[in-house]
Amino acid sequence: MPSPPSTGVEEDLEDLFENAPCGYLSLGADARIRRCNQTFGRWLGVDPQTFVGKRFPDLLTIAGRIYFETHFAPLLKMQGFFDEVALDIETETDALPVLVNAVQRGSVDDARAFIRVTVFKATDRRRYERQLLEARRQADGASAELARLNQALEQRVTDEVTSRMQAEEALRQAQKMEAIGQLTGGIAHDFNNMLAGVIGALNLIQKRLSRGDLDVDKFIEGALDSAYRAAGLTQRLLQFSRQTPLEPVALDVNKLTSGMSDLLSRTLGETIRVETVLAAGLWNAKADPSQLENVILNLAVNARDAMPGGGSLTIETSNAYVDERYARDNQMAEGQYVLVAVTDTGQGMPAEVLTRVFDPFFTTKPVGKGTGLGMSQVYGFAKQSGGHVKIYSEVGVGTTVKLYLPRQIGAAAAVGRPRAELAPLGGTEKILVVEDDERVRTFAVEALRELGYTVLEAADGKSACEVMLANTKIALLFTDVVMPGMTGRELADRAVQSDPDLKLLFSTGYTRNAIVHNGVLDAGINFLQKPYSLHDLARKIRGVLDESELSTPG
Amino acid sequence: MNREDVGRRFNVNISGRGSAPMLFAHGFGCDQNMWRYVAPAFEDDFKVVMFDHVGAGASDLSAYDPAKYSSLDGYADDVLEICRAFELGNVVFVGHSVSAMIGILAAIKAPEVFSNLILVGPSPRYINDENYVGGFSEPQITELLDFLDSNHMGWSEAMAPVIMGNPDRPELGQELTNSFCRTDPNVARRFARTTFLSDNREDLDRLNTPSLILQCSEDIIAPIEVGRYVHEHLPNSTLAILEATGHCPNLSAPEETIAAIKAYL
Repeated sequence: MPSPPSTGVEEDLEDLFENAPCGYLSLGADARIRRCNQTFGRWLGVDPQTFVGKRFPDLLTIAGRIYFETHFAPLLKMQGFFDEVALDIETETDALPVLVNAVQRGSVDDARAFIRVTVFKATDRRRYERQLLEARRQADGASAELARLNQALEQRVTDEVTSRMQAEEALRQAQKMEAIGQLTGGIAHDFNNMLAGVIGALNLIQKRLSRGDLDVDKFIEGALDSAYRAAGLTQRLLQFSRQTPLEPVALDVNKLTSGMSDLLSRTLGETIRVETVLAAGLWNAKADPSQLENVILNLAVNARDAMPGGGSLTIETSNAYVDERYARDNQMAEGQYVLVAVTDTGQGMPAEVLTRVFDPFFTTKPVGKGTGLGMSQVYGFAKQSGGHVKIYSEVGVGTTVKLYLPRQIGAAAAVGRPRAELAPLGGTEKILVVEDDERVRTFAVEALRELGYTVLEAADGKSACEVMLANTKIALLFTDVVMPGMTGRELADRAVQSDPDLKLLFSTGYTRNAIVHNGVLDAGINFLQKPYSLHDLARKIRGVLDESELSTPG
Repeated sequence: MNREDVGRRFNVNISGRGSAPMLFAHGFGCDQNMWRYVAPAFEDDFKVVMFDHVGAGASDLSAYDPAKYSSLDGYADDVLEICRAFELGNVVFVGHSVSAMIGILAAIKAPEVFSNLILVGPSPRYINDENYVGGFSEPQITELLDFLDSNHMGWSEAMAPVIMGNPDRPELGQELTNSFCRTDPNVARRFARTTFLSDNREDLDRLNTPSLILQCSEDIIAPIEVGRYVHEHLPNSTLAILEATGHCPNLSAPEETIAAIKAYL
């Protein structure tokens, strides 16, 4: 609002009071308004004179009025002023937000004393404050929302992981079922083939015998062949499940490998060249020699099948040290190993085949060409021997299988081929056969009698003890291990107490029992795995009797 | 009951050379500074005891229990706790505003503790009710409480010199200009609700302790009709109407206030 140009100091001051950018009020001690400037009146659209005589708090909204009486008036009395108090002046339509300062002028006792009140319009400031409060509330809300989201997210991750784990578990279960299905299917298939051979041959024998034809030898051969193959299958199954008892010895792997060269050449045929690279100063390995032969043969046969057009097979031996990291990665013990590497120049295997190569009954060979047990047998043997097996393969280049066998400190045992192709040796010693299965017992008793032995028999431990009491000079106790009542082991312990010279031979189809621990035979135990052939029986009985004689001085 | 603990919790200050205790209680608004012009006049003859209600002045804010302090009973219990802790008997209780009513409730609970009550601007109910004049309509009190609930910053900052905000820097609170009225805004909000919604009219005639009512002229918080109502319903009460205006004669007219109290005692 334009104001007239000042003509003097008093007018200038008057103008300053009336038109200052803030409201000026002078109050008496009782808060009654004595004077009020134009600015304040203008803000409220009222002639400022109308305020004179009213109490200042009566201009305020109710909250301001109460707070003025209870807070600000006392404050003014105590400290002589108050500063920047946010109040609202009541208007006819609304409320005017203001900031109020008040200061006591002159001593309270002085009649001229007054309270100077300065009022600042605070509409904008109040709006900013409200916006700030609102923003703060929204920020708090956003933080809370964020916390909620975080929690929800964590929950979703947990749920997701749980369901993923459940799915994986279900998948594993399904794969396990598939593997079991393959396993049982494979076994049933192979076994049926073998049984068909046995049954067919027996049928023919029966027919021929019924009409008095005694020319049945070739059928008996055929039946036996099928039955042996069935026995071989169960043997391989046991080996895969690491239930074949191993008889590990300190083994010169170079010697064993060299000894197999004839066999390998015959097996692999003319199109495949066999090379052996044997390390000098090779350590002795701790392994079962006959099983290692089987394994090498298995690998050689696989190599042959991978090289239908011919190629070369290299068998390499070397000393190897497995460090901590390699050991950890391959779940084996750190330390010294004898390495046998079998390398072919065949088709190689793609990655998806490589990952399944140790699965039982997994085979890439056509039906009837392989049982799918070969590689799983290799794996089972390596693990059971305390070693490891590793395969490297590249399609079109070839495959290397590395077999790690633990080092054995000590001199190597003689590696021979104990299964000499000789006629079974008999004897005249007195032998007690204890077996609860009547058919098995009859077979053993008859077979041993055929070989010239004097044979006593018993169906269980208790009757065996009675037989031993009633008879003298029994040279050998041949007993089943798992029997109702007394086990073979208990029977043997008791028998040896009364006759320390008695020789013992155990037999069982199971291997988780009293004489086989962790898949390894107890030291000094003679053992014949069921099922056994006449030949196996004769050789083992003779062996035990002779070994005992050798170890007995005089 | 631990005297030290109670002393700290209520910021109890004791002065004076007399043996008879005179206990000063501030009302809704400021703290024990309210008595700075009145209390010294009694130090020759009395043991002057002043304190801050929990949530006001230099009291222990952490002792504030919203449930306990949702009625004036909670504050009355505090008064008795102070009396017991400091073994005060034959107490002359001086209560301003809502503390006048708090004193009446305390003296009803434990009459043996008190000899006289000085009630400065008492009100048993602030809201008008049929034939009763309390000074405020219900919508007015609702407006006040709504305003306080909006927790407006201008108020918070003017009235809450950081009792709570900066406990590790108490000097900040001291530096603020409005430091005679230290009130935590949240506590003030609740104290206002407890005070302005209270109705203790039924309690008045249960008081037997002699009392002096100091009633100001032109007090909008406790109008003269309220003072008369209290006098009519309080047995054994004396009404003194002061020339002083406003709600705080102890600040605006300390001489008149002191004279009235001395004349009564």
